[in-house]
Amino acid sequence: MKYETIIGLEVHVELATKSKLFCPCSTEFGSDINENVCPICSGMPGTSPMINKKAVELGIAAGLLTNSAIARRIAFDKKNYFYPDLPSGYQVTQLFSPICKNGWVEIETDAGKRRINLTQIHIEEDAGKLIHDDWTDTTLVDFNRASVPLIEIVTNPDFRSGEEVVAFLEKLRSLLSFAGVSDCKMQEGSMRCDINLSVREKGTEKLGTRTEIKNMNSLKAITAAIAYESRRHIEALETGDEVLVQETRRWDDSIGETFSMRGKEDATDYRFCPDPDIMPVFIGDEWIDSVRDNLPETAQAKFIRLTEELDLSEYDSEIITRSKNLSDIFDETLKHFENPKEVANWVIVELLAIAKGDNKNEDDVRIDCRKFAKLIELVENKTINRNVGKQVLSLVLEDDIDPVQYIEENKLGMISDTSLINEIIKKVLWENPKAVEEYRGGSKKVQGFFIGQIMRKLGGKANPQMITSLLRDALKED
Amino acid sequence: MGLFIENYNISGADAVALEDSIMEKGRGVTVGSRILKNFVSPFNATVVDRLLDNGFKIAGRANMDEFGLLKLSRDDDNMPTGAIRAVSDDVAAFSLCNDLFGRYRREATENDCCYIHPTYGTVSRYGLVPLASSMDQIGIVCKDLAQGFGLLSYISGKDPKDGAMFPESTYDYTKPAGEITLGVPKSVIEKADVDTQDAITEFIDGFANTEIDLEHFDLYSRVMYILSSAEISNNLSRYDGIKFGYRASNFSDLEDLYTKTRSEGFGPDAKSAIIMGAMMLSKDQYGAYYERAMKVRRLIKESIKFDRYNVIVLPCNIGDDPYENLSLYALSPLAGLPSVSFSYKGHGIQLIAGVKNEDLLLSTWEVCKA
Repeated sequence: MKYETIIGLEVHVELATKSKLFCPCSTEFGSDINENVCPICSGMPGTSPMINKKAVELGIAAGLLTNSAIARRIAFDKKNYFYPDLPSGYQVTQLFSPICKNGWVEIETDAGKRRINLTQIHIEEDAGKLIHDDWTDTTLVDFNRASVPLIEIVTNPDFRSGEEVVAFLEKLRSLLSFAGVSDCKMQEGSMRCDINLSVREKGTEKLGTRTEIKNMNSLKAITAAIAYESRRHIEALETGDEVLVQETRRWDDSIGETFSMRGKEDATDYRFCPDPDIMPVFIGDEWIDSVRDNLPETAQAKFIRLTEELDLSEYDSEIITRSKNLSDIFDETLKHFENPKEVANWVIVELLAIAKGDNKNEDDVRIDCRKFAKLIELVENKTINRNVGKQVLSLVLEDDIDPVQYIEENKLGMISDTSLINEIIKKVLWENPKAVEEYRGGSKKVQGFFIGQIMRKLGGKANPQMITSLLRDALKED
Repeated sequence: MGLFIENYNISGADAVALEDSIMEKGRGVTVGSRILKNFVSPFNATVVDRLLDNGFKIAGRANMDEFGLLKLSRDDDNMPTGAIRAVSDDVAAFSLCNDLFGRYRREATENDCCYIHPTYGTVSRYGLVPLASSMDQIGIVCKDLAQGFGLLSYISGKDPKDGAMFPESTYDYTKPAGEITLGVPKSVIEKADVDTQDAITEFIDGFANTEIDLEHFDLYSRVMYILSSAEISNNLSRYDGIKFGYRASNFSDLEDLYTKTRSEGFGPDAKSAIIMGAMMLSKDQYGAYYERAMKVRRLIKESIKFDRYNVIVLPCNIGDDPYENLSLYALSPLAGLPSVSFSYKGHGIQLIAGVKNEDLLLSTWEVCKA
């Protein structure tokens, strides 16, 4: 390869605060349009922003997790531009004194371990959302997201491949979501990034013309966009057919290409200035220490705990610790049923299978862990069999039913009445004389066939081991 | 200019007129501008709540210059602003307004009224339509400063809805102030007419006093103009025709909606401030104007030491040019200092004290009245 691609990122992460950056409005995703709006976050005159301390705290946490230097005094600035989704005509951000500087994150790819350096992390407010109504051909504004707190993580141009970018974003997601800084859901827009990319000949110093791809919100699209864009740059350098210009581009996922967003964007002068309505916030050692002391377990620490203390396989531990949500479910369920292997098994195999069937991923599964634990226990103590357990699990997930009550009401408990089972066995053997002969002739394979038949007649509600032993006795007797 | 934009026909000793920039729930707030035509406030300003809680009544919404902006051209209409007239005409006992550029402070002294400009951060600005946030300050027009400070004690004190306030929940303005030593900036007073100079000489005779030099005085109005324009251009950005207020009736696209709404909605003084402010904040000019003005603002603040003196005496008028007069009124907003203006022997006098030292101002006034 003659060329190398140089990439830097600006990652926007929505902070997991309950309320917005400057007002008490809820930050909940999926609320009704303009449900979470008040005079402050809709930019009405006469209101004053009140800084959300929790947002600053999460900013400190992000700094600690990324080995950043945390500022002792932070202030906020106004970034001025007109757009209907921006209620005040300016966005509150941090230009002059960001909360974190000079951090780094270690990533691991096939090429080995590398450090990605962070220029800075700053806190800012999100904008609202425009919704076009095709029916009336009008554009409407939803301010639910306006003033939701974000951090923007700006990296140095340290990446050399899309693979590294993905590894970085996954690492960031793991760090931030386990610490409760953000849920980092790319599909809901709570984590998104802008990619700055240029290409130069290997061994040269000077950076090539840089383009920026805005608002990327899936790892797949990021990988594809980086591949496409570096190819476009290389072709332009080689053939000279296209002159590269410094510009902002948009990735079209359905076509698989980037397109120039020509417009006034690049010419905008944001007229930054300090925001006199927000007093500077001072961050003392005690505050930083208390945030550090209260940081939850990282995914890495949890992995070590699962493999070493709970003796789970690396494979299982890896799956559980890939998602904050899944690992929370694991921990919580384990509290109520203390068998790590079984709980891990149910979480990884059954829970995820049902979730996948419902088109949910590991971050979206929600379950009452107490009920989940009870269900696992009922299977383990053989009150119900595993298949029934799976069926009940999907009902717990879907309708939050109470498993104990449901099993009782629907008589799903296992049949432990040996006389009833023996009766069924007799019936099955009587109906299948040929198979009985085969068995006695030495073909033990038909045992499986018998068990299947018996199980079906029992409605799947018997312990297979019990059936096997009773079946063997019955075949001897005859 | 008519006295009221909206007259509630209430008068008396407990009647307070509000400049049309102070919001009342369910009432229109125009700020004297077409851009907020038909805007109805969804909430009460904190000062309004505090007035009502303490038995005061609102007399009406007083007329004002657009947003309370600095008028660079003299109006043909020489009538005082509504908030002043409400008190001088005995319609209301008090008026509340936001006097950034000094018009109220000057007109009060010319109309037999007094003006109290409290310490920045002691009166909540929640519900005050912002002009220049780092300097906005609700003040009181009254007939008698003792009564005015009485009213101030009801409306001042920390409000959790205003992020830039001192922590005290109440202030006592009547506590006996210590020794008063007036600081007399002779070079500034000499700019006033001879009669005013004589009145001031007579005034300071009743006190211990010392001559002082107001360093950077020639920069006051320029710093004030630059910083206020920048902040005004920010604060007026929210009036874009999208969410509330005036919207042009015919437009072809978003850009056209913005342009027409703001062209039709704002008057000449607002446009001038918006354009100047935007220029001063632009990438190329930021260092030359805004950043430098911020530095000078700090120098000005640091230059007012209140060491050998604790109350500064200034005239209220040094000429017909509002821009020149602005220098007299810029110090309080720029440094967040409290001041009072009143008429002494028919001439306007302004007293400025240190942060939260309103008691000194009241004592000085009481001495001179006695």
